[in-house]
Amino acid sequence: MARFALSALGVDRPGIVAALSGALASKGLNLADSTMTVLQGHFAVLLVIEAPDGTSAAELEAALEVPAGELDLVLSVRPLAELPERGTQVGSSLGNDPEEREPWVLSVHGADRPGIVHAITSVLAGEGANIVDLSTHLVGDDLAPLYTMHMALSVPRGSSRLLAARVIEVGASLGVHCQMNPGDSDLL
Amino acid sequence: MLVLPDPILSRPSEAVGAPGPAALALAGDLVDTMRASPACVGLAAPQIGVGLRAFVMDVSAHPKARSCHGLVVLFDPELLESSGPEVAREGCMSVPDLTGDVRRATRVVVSGTTPEGERRVLEADAFEARALLHEMDHLDGAVFLDRVTGPHAVFPRKVYR
Repeated sequence: MARFALSALGVDRPGIVAALSGALASKGLNLADSTMTVLQGHFAVLLVIEAPDGTSAAELEAALEVPAGELDLVLSVRPLAELPERGTQVGSSLGNDPEEREPWVLSVHGADRPGIVHAITSVLAGEGANIVDLSTHLVGDDLAPLYTMHMALSVPRGSSRLLAARVIEVGASLGVHCQMNPGDSDLL
Repeated sequence: MLVLPDPILSRPSEAVGAPGPAALALAGDLVDTMRASPACVGLAAPQIGVGLRAFVMDVSAHPKARSCHGLVVLFDPELLESSGPEVAREGCMSVPDLTGDVRRATRVVVSGTTPEGERRVLEADAFEARALLHEMDHLDGAVFLDRVTGPHAVFPRKVYR
């Protein structure tokens, strides 16, 4: 099984997912993880495709050429690298071991300005916190736009207090409000 | 009405103490502003630019309400008990473009000072409990965006800016 990442972006309209998934289904290709959303009026697709061994990215792009053209999508397909073996240096530093990590949610909001994401995420990277999921919104009027950023984090166990203090301090220097709350880990 | 990113909304407010004429005038402003805003079930002083621990609330006729104390005006509120957390969607007059999913207690006991200067204890559940906690958050400089359950728990009200 080969895996590919498809990215596509175009002005939002009904039918984009149906057209892309239809082209893939007609070739017998399987959809795995994906995230698709509207960003400032544009529909953005990030999708992992499972394909038989020997399939090339060019073949997949060719299969998607017609819907991409009709919908005026900027589209590309890239092969995904094999994941490293579990327990190797890279894997353990990415940190999926629940014994060593704990889930947190970081909320950030404030007046929009360049550099918020970089400043906050640099603190996270420096403390070994991994961003599992991230979503941002730019809303409000042009005179006083509001920028919001919310992240699901995987944080090294025992480091959250220091991390929260650092994030709040760096946020304050940019005039943005930061709040870190424990993530939901209930199992039902 | 102040909206984010106004920094006043992220600042903790100060205690009112024994309510005098200024506190009563503030309460009147809050009630008038709440009443003038359709679908508004509560308003805290920082939302109209006053950094004092005061809020008004009225969940009468709201379909999600169970307990209902009618119009509530409270100064220096304190949370005495809370239990039964539940996630639900919230909006806020001070964050007009977004809504969010927030986990809050469904049963609370809150005390505070009435405009007459008396101590009042309220037991609330369901939507009224959520409204109380939402308004009390404002007094600590918090909005629902600080409490949403994760990155996929924030929703634009209109899709396009």
